[in-house]
Parts: sequence; C-alpha cells; structure tokens
Amino acid sequence: MAEEIRAPLAGSIWAVLVEVGSKVEEDDELVVIEALKMENPVFSHCAGTVKEIKVKKGDRVEDDALLMLIE
Amino acid sequence: MRPYFEKMPGFGKPLKDNRKARSRESRAKLEAVEAEIAAARKAREDVGIPAAKINERGSLTVWQRLEYLVDPGTWQPLHSLYNPEDNEEGTTNVVDGLGKISGRWAVIIGFDNKVLAGAWIPGQAENVLRVTNLAKRLHIPLVWLVNCSGVKLPDQEKFYADRRGSGTPFYRHAELQQAGIPVLAGIYGTNPAGGGYQGITPTILIAHKDANIAVGGAGIVSGMSPRGGFDVEGLEQLIAITRDFKERPPGRVEIHYNETGFFTRVCDEEKGVLDGLKDYMRAIPAYDPMFFRVAEPAEPALAADDLYHLLPFNQKETYSFDEILARLVDGSEHMEFRPDYGPEIYAGLVKIDGMAVGVIGNRQGVLPKGYPEYADYPGIGGKLYRQGLIKMSEFVTHCGRDRVPLIWFQDTSGIDVGDVAEKAELLGLGSTLIYSIQQTDVPMMLVVLRKGSAAAHYIMGGPTANRHNAFTLGTAATEIYVMHGETAAVATMARRAVKDKDSGKPLEPIAEKMNEIAKKYYDTSRPAYCAQHGFVDEIVELKALRGYLKAFAGAVYQNPQSTCPRHQMLLPRIIKG
Repeated sequence: MAEEIRAPLAGSIWAVLVEVGSKVEEDDELVVIEALKMENPVFSHCAGTVKEIKVKKGDRVEDDALLMLIE
Repeated sequence: MRPYFEKMPGFGKPLKDNRKARSRESRAKLEAVEAEIAAARKAREDVGIPAAKINERGSLTVWQRLEYLVDPGTWQPLHSLYNPEDNEEGTTNVVDGLGKISGRWAVIIGFDNKVLAGAWIPGQAENVLRVTNLAKRLHIPLVWLVNCSGVKLPDQEKFYADRRGSGTPFYRHAELQQAGIPVLAGIYGTNPAGGGYQGITPTILIAHKDANIAVGGAGIVSGMSPRGGFDVEGLEQLIAITRDFKERPPGRVEIHYNETGFFTRVCDEEKGVLDGLKDYMRAIPAYDPMFFRVAEPAEPALAADDLYHLLPFNQKETYSFDEILARLVDGSEHMEFRPDYGPEIYAGLVKIDGMAVGVIGNRQGVLPKGYPEYADYPGIGGKLYRQGLIKMSEFVTHCGRDRVPLIWFQDTSGIDVGDVAEKAELLGLGSTLIYSIQQTDVPMMLVVLRKGSAAAHYIMGGPTANRHNAFTLGTAATEIYVMHGETAAVATMARRAVKDKDSGKPLEPIAEKMNEIAKKYYDTSRPAYCAQHGFVDEIVELKALRGYLKAFAGAVYQNPQSTCPRHQMLLPRIIKG
C-alpha cells in the first residue's frame, strides 16, 4: 500500500528532490516548500520507492495537500 | 546523581551521504567566509614593525610572548578583528583571549608592541572593558603583557577622556581585585603615563630589567612648562634634556625595584618575565576539574565536520538545531527540558568536558500543527512564541538555582508580532526573560549561529541586555541586525511609496532607495563587520566552536563564587519527572 506524503503547511513548491522511481529511506528530504520566508524541507516518514509525484516546482500547495506517494 | 549524568540519552543521527552531497555548495560558502576571516586575522597579526626587527632589538613580539606563556592548544582568541573606530592600524592595539597558563584558565591581554610601541589608540578602552568584564564574569585571573608607550598623542581627543575612556581599566583593576580576582602583569619596555598606570594597577608586577613605569615619560617631563611657543634656544635645551631621558627614562628598575619595591620581581631575560607569570599562576586557587565533573569527559559521538553540512549558509534554509548541538557536546548526549512544550525552543542539560552546562537554542522549520496555540496561523522555528518564552524563563531560573552555566545558541528572526501576539503577552514575556536572566546570576556565553535579530537577539542571552553574557561568538553564517534589510526598506519607505504613487511621481527612485537600504543592511551585518564592531567577540570556525565551549566550562568551574551540590540539583529531577 502506498504511503502518502503531505504538505506540513501551505506554501509554494521550491524544489522537488526526487523523481518517480527514486529509492528513498526514512528521513530523506523529498520536497522543499517555501513558506513564511523559509525553505521548509518535507521528509519521508518511510522507506520505499517514489510511485507518483503530484506537484512540481512553483506550484502553490495548501496545508495537508498530497505531495507524493511512496510504495 | 551518577545515573542522571554518567549516561544521558543520546541524540543526533549520522549524516547521510545525500545530505552531504546536497550541502556541498553551502559548505564551500561557509569555508570561503572562514578563509576570509582567517586572512583578515593574519593581516591584523602582521600589522606594524616586522617580528624580525623587534627580535633584532632584543625583544619578543606580543605574539611570541603569548606563544611561550600560554599552555599549548588552549588559546582561544577573542576580539581578533575588533576595531570599532576603524583605526588605520587595523587594530585596537591589544591582543586578547582565553588561555591556560600553568594549567589554569586566565583572561590574557597584551599590547601589540609592533604597533606604535603598544600605544593607546581609539577603541582600545572598549576592548579592555570587554576583557575586564570577562575576567569578572568568569571569576578568573586577568593577565597583562604590558608594553605601552602611552597615548597616541595626535588622536588623544578620541579616547583620553570620557566615562568609558582609556583611564577606566585602572579602576576596573581595582574592582577585580576587590572581587578577589587577581590581576598579573608582565612589564616590558617604556610605559609612561597611562602605560605606567597600566603597569602599576595590577596585583603582581613582574618586570623585565629594561622596563620602566612612570607617571610621565621623557617627553612629558621635558615639556612640562609651556612657554607660549617654540624657538631655537628652547629647542637646544629640549634636545639636551631628551638625550638624557632617552638614556635614563623615569621609573626604571633601579627606582621601582630597588627604591619603591613596586615590582614584585625583576628578570634579566624576556622569557623570565613569562616564567614569573607562570609561577604566580601556579599559586592561584583553582579546583581540579575533576572536583565539579559530573562524568568523565568525552568527545561528541558525531563528527564536528558534519556541522558544515548541517548549518545551511542560505538563511532561508531550515535545519535541525538538535543535530548541530549533538556535534558539540560530550558523547552527543543530553537531557531535554520540557520537550513537549514551546517547540520552537530547545532547552536542556548537556556535558562539556565532563561538566554540566545548560543549553538554550532556536529550533528551525515548521512547528507542530496547532502551535502557537493562541493563533490561527502556523508557527515557524526561529520565531519566539508564548510557550517558548515561558520555557526559556523557567529553564534559566532553574539553572540559576542549580548554579549551572548557560550557553545560548541564536538563530532568530524575532518574537511573534501583531495584536494576537500582544494579547498572548509576548511583550511582557520577553521582558520577563530579561528579568529572569538578570536574577539568575550565572555565567553565560552566546553563539549566534546564523541570525541575531530584533528584540530576540537581546533577550536570548545577547550581550546588549544581559550582564551575565561573558562573551559572544559568531560563525561564517552569522548576520546581526534589527531586522532584515528588505523588511527595513519596507518599514522606511512604504508610506513614501504611497504618497509618491498618489501624486503621480515615478516609483523607480523609491525602489532604488529601498535596494540601497537593503544592501546597507547586508553589508553591515556580515561576520567581518560584526567582529570589527563588537557585535560578537570573535567569529569562530565551526570546527573550532567546541574549543570555546570547553574553555567557557573550564573557566566557569575553575573557581566558582557559588556552587550547588549535584545531589541537591533540581533540574535533572524536573527533567526526569
């Protein structure tokens, strides 16, 4: 079952650090969200393979928005 | 209390290769600034007459004297780039730092005898104030290497008089001695007037055979009676008197050892003076460090080199403060105080060289949902909110009660603002923290890891609003200002922009002015600027930070004015619950 990676706060996507198919470990940085004048990294809470990425650089995301799926 | 301290919970994780790879550029930027600072420090050391020339005259330079005097590996320089009056000499003409002499920590300061024979110059009195305050706060001896030709006469109006002028070190020496803190002086060369007082006001005076100290030197004595002008006849007399005084300056050893007995000891060799200082340092009361250690000293379990990958040069990039701290403290172990309260602040007990020290630091990044609890907007690390302010006050107060020294780490953009924040009492809680610190009365030091900004720079152990701040360090990523330059530009020009817009004027000049303001803020907040103007007492390489923490802990526990038995400490029990 795929794990969901969600935005911890609203902001704009500053960088996407992985691609579909990337192997990730727990605590790896996946996405950086620019919000509150800071670049806030979003970490993986699980190990696996990136199955789907829902955002790209520059996208505006709301709090709790789905960013990617990890399998 | 052994179970509390001997093995504390470990923290921090090994650095991953991908994190190292991603932060390579940031590391390069940090190291580039460190290299700039090192080059500036070297240039400052080389200023004045070349060392070889001083050696040819039979003297050592202040740097050579320090090298002989200070125990190897213990020198922690301070104020290397301090030059607040922007002297053309590039220095305040004193060299100072913390170092061990004969195994005991001391604050050490010497005149740079390569520059104007160690004269008083602008900004020096402020430098000396920092040094005497440091000895007072750490309660450790002050050791002088006196070699002071007195006032740089053409600039006297800039530092001779005034409440913080160059005479103030003398009463500060009196204050130190009245507080039981000895002042030792090794005396070299000709020290007239202020130089003479510099030589006479310490507790122990050890002189080189060619040294002299006097109320006034040859120049003053021969020119004491102004005649309303100069003529050839007068100059002939002056030349004769000056020749005689050059051979026999007032206050030589034959006066101040043989007659007055002011000199405690006189040495034929330059190094003999330093040996004398070492002898007297050996006689000074100092606890063996084992007396106050709560555990065996241990290096951090995680490498200091990681700091270059963990502290982002880019001020907008967030990071984990806990990971930074884990690279600085013994065994990468700690006891965190109230981890579930005030998440923007880290507070905890750690060990430095086996001694208990309290740490407070700003956490970075997104804060847990629902925090701050009084607002409907999200919280971000680096800012201070209600719980964090309360937590800091509590922790500081407990450290005071348990007599635990404190190390602050700042990377703060300020206290939360707006009516919601005011309603949450943040103004009052910020000032409460200042009150708590003032009431606590334990030595503190501060590391401005990155940003020191707004009132938060004051209240988080900053030197401006804190009598107990012994010294403040910066890093290659440090920037200190009242607010970010762009914020300041908006605050300054926003109304003007509205006005100009309404009257149909072009907006380009406003934008240009705002860019100028932002640029000025940037230029005047860089590490070298902070060091030159005394916002910090030294910019330190990340890999060298732990050396200063060890010096601080060692100095604080060397001869403390008050202590708390470890089995009567409350803080570890409060943390345990």
